[in-house]
Amino acid sequence: MIQIDPSKILVRYNVKMEKQMTPEEAAEELYPKDKLVYPIAKAIFEGEEDDVVEGLEKAIGSGKDPISLIDDALMVGMGVVTRLYDEGVIFLPNVMMSADAMLEGIEFIKKKAGKAPTVKGKVVCHVAEGDVHDIGKNIVAALLRANGYDVVDLGRDVPVDEVIASVEKENPLMLTGTALMTTTMYAFKEVNDKLLEKGYRIPFACGGGAVNQDFVSQYELGVYGEEAADAPKMADFIKEHGDNIVKLREKFHKH
Amino acid sequence: MAVARFTKMAYAKADDMVFGKAVKPVKAGLGLEIGAGYTTPEVNYAPRPEAGASKEKLVKEYERITTDIMARMVQIGAPSVVLETEHVQQMSNHPDWGAAVAHAQKTIMEDYHDEYGIKCALRHTIGDIRENRDFLQLRGDKYSVFLEAFEECAKSGADLLSVESMGGKEVFDYAILRNDMAGVLYGIGVLGSMDMEMIWSDIAAIAKKTGTVAAGDTDCAQANTAMFIAGGLLDKNLAHTLAIIARAISAPRSLVAYEAGAVGPGKDCGYENTIVKAIAGVPITQEGKTSTCAHSDLMGNLVMQCCDLWSNESVEYHGEFGGTTVQCWSETLAYDCALMNVALESGNEKVLRDMFVASDINRDPQGYVLAYPNAYRVGQAIVKDGNDIYLRAKNAALECIKIVEEGAKDKLALSRFEATALANAKAAFEALTDDKEKFMSDCLDKYKKEVKVFLPENYGL
Repeated sequence: MIQIDPSKILVRYNVKMEKQMTPEEAAEELYPKDKLVYPIAKAIFEGEEDDVVEGLEKAIGSGKDPISLIDDALMVGMGVVTRLYDEGVIFLPNVMMSADAMLEGIEFIKKKAGKAPTVKGKVVCHVAEGDVHDIGKNIVAALLRANGYDVVDLGRDVPVDEVIASVEKENPLMLTGTALMTTTMYAFKEVNDKLLEKGYRIPFACGGGAVNQDFVSQYELGVYGEEAADAPKMADFIKEHGDNIVKLREKFHKH
Repeated sequence: MAVARFTKMAYAKADDMVFGKAVKPVKAGLGLEIGAGYTTPEVNYAPRPEAGASKEKLVKEYERITTDIMARMVQIGAPSVVLETEHVQQMSNHPDWGAAVAHAQKTIMEDYHDEYGIKCALRHTIGDIRENRDFLQLRGDKYSVFLEAFEECAKSGADLLSVESMGGKEVFDYAILRNDMAGVLYGIGVLGSMDMEMIWSDIAAIAKKTGTVAAGDTDCAQANTAMFIAGGLLDKNLAHTLAIIARAISAPRSLVAYEAGAVGPGKDCGYENTIVKAIAGVPITQEGKTSTCAHSDLMGNLVMQCCDLWSNESVEYHGEFGGTTVQCWSETLAYDCALMNVALESGNEKVLRDMFVASDINRDPQGYVLAYPNAYRVGQAIVKDGNDIYLRAKNAALECIKIVEEGAKDKLALSRFEATALANAKAAFEALTDDKEKFMSDCLDKYKKEVKVFLPENYGL
């Protein structure tokens, strides 16, 4: 073996740039102070489903309105999670576990309240026809749900016509498509063309494996997402600024 | 099924392992011997998306690809080349498509071999089509089509048979996104190994019947998923310390192919292959700096350390300034191989190998563990309990953790996040039972409940 000083040939930027604060310390600074809400937000951050439900039970028992706890406690906890993820303090598995815990909390509230909460908007997600690689889509769907969106998950290997039918039925603010392979991503063009034929002009966010910005830019509704975490940001952008594809591309196309 | 488990190492010591030489070289194709003292480029490619529209279009595309590569190899004086065709789904779902492509490619390669004497072989990597829209369908109707695809390609010109099989992936995908180490171990080490045993026994039988080579598998579906999610130094999707644990566990899983009759060369994207070579002595393909056309990794030089074939992973076929992509990348691979072959001819192979390693060993925990002296140690941990697919996978994980911990005390800098993830993983593995049956039973209950797409019958459970 050759022994050299590694600092002469490489830089571990992740070590060099690491934040001083631990994730727990950073989260602690962001939790709400309300003593009934704090444990719920903390349990969301920690991904502890049972603790989330326990916290919700206590809060409801103390007179809090179940439905309002979604925005005031669950989403606040998830907001801590997504903010720290965006800042590079925590990693994706933490977000996934928190999202699981939040969904468990929402289910509990639905049962308690006997009605469904309002959501920020609806997004249809699918994996391209012919493609069964769905881990990217699962991440996208989890991140969208974690950010308060209602996700219609069509699954993997979804026929083009089924995608179109779902858009017609659900009237989503955005459609997402993921693909791993160059040969399957061609289905995105078909989806685009059929949507246009029927007069739908919703943003079609595409990403995954072999998908690249050049390819997605070739069809009118396409917006390329390099990271799964771009999906909720795109949905937020659409809610705030409308669904203009050019503006979305200006914001999210990085290359 | 009769499999011969590895319970000892093929190499007496790690330092005996070099590129271009394997304990058990493999003869294949037209005059080629892999692992017999020289390295060879293995060029991999993907057809343009529109080429999949019909069988004729696809065959034509592969004819262009094959001719381009063979012509460039001759133009620059490369003595040998392997072509790897990774099936697009149409070629495996319709075995006659795959067979037609294999036949067309081999015809061109034979012409070049006859005219110039260039040594060459054709690998076909069948797509793991054993699934339907909702579930893996590892043992259903699709299994016979899957095997038929191997056989038809073998009969039509493919010399080396491979696959990137997906057993265990449904549990793994769920577990890796939740830092669930037991699930990673169950998915790759147990379910993956069980499926590997079934398919490779059958693939090896097809290779025997057709006079071709059962070459090997890669844990692309799982360990590479972890590596891709982990990404670069600044990505925040998975701790790299967890990605390398998944990789270590993938070694005993990929080893199963050789226990069931495969002989190598293992497939390029199996970054676990150095560990496999240490145990099984088979030749291996690797990819690194030459696969940046397909993905990034953090060990572009290191991974050349013990390769026998050197690959570019995959590149879409289209034009570049210097020719088509396959011409450009095959040329790059060929010059890398020329350098390694110079080292072999001049007795400098260990120097070059160690320079490759020194380039990347401290870049990331993944390269650190896969550096051949450490990879060898993971191998030793595997063969210690070689007859128990659960224990040997657990051993691999624990040895991997130990190696990273040692590295962190030396020159391998870990972020606090990576160190914490490592410590949590260590606690999770140490808490696991040593009893395979109990582990299996606990996991079966847990993942049947938690993973909607997990069907135990896929594994005969």
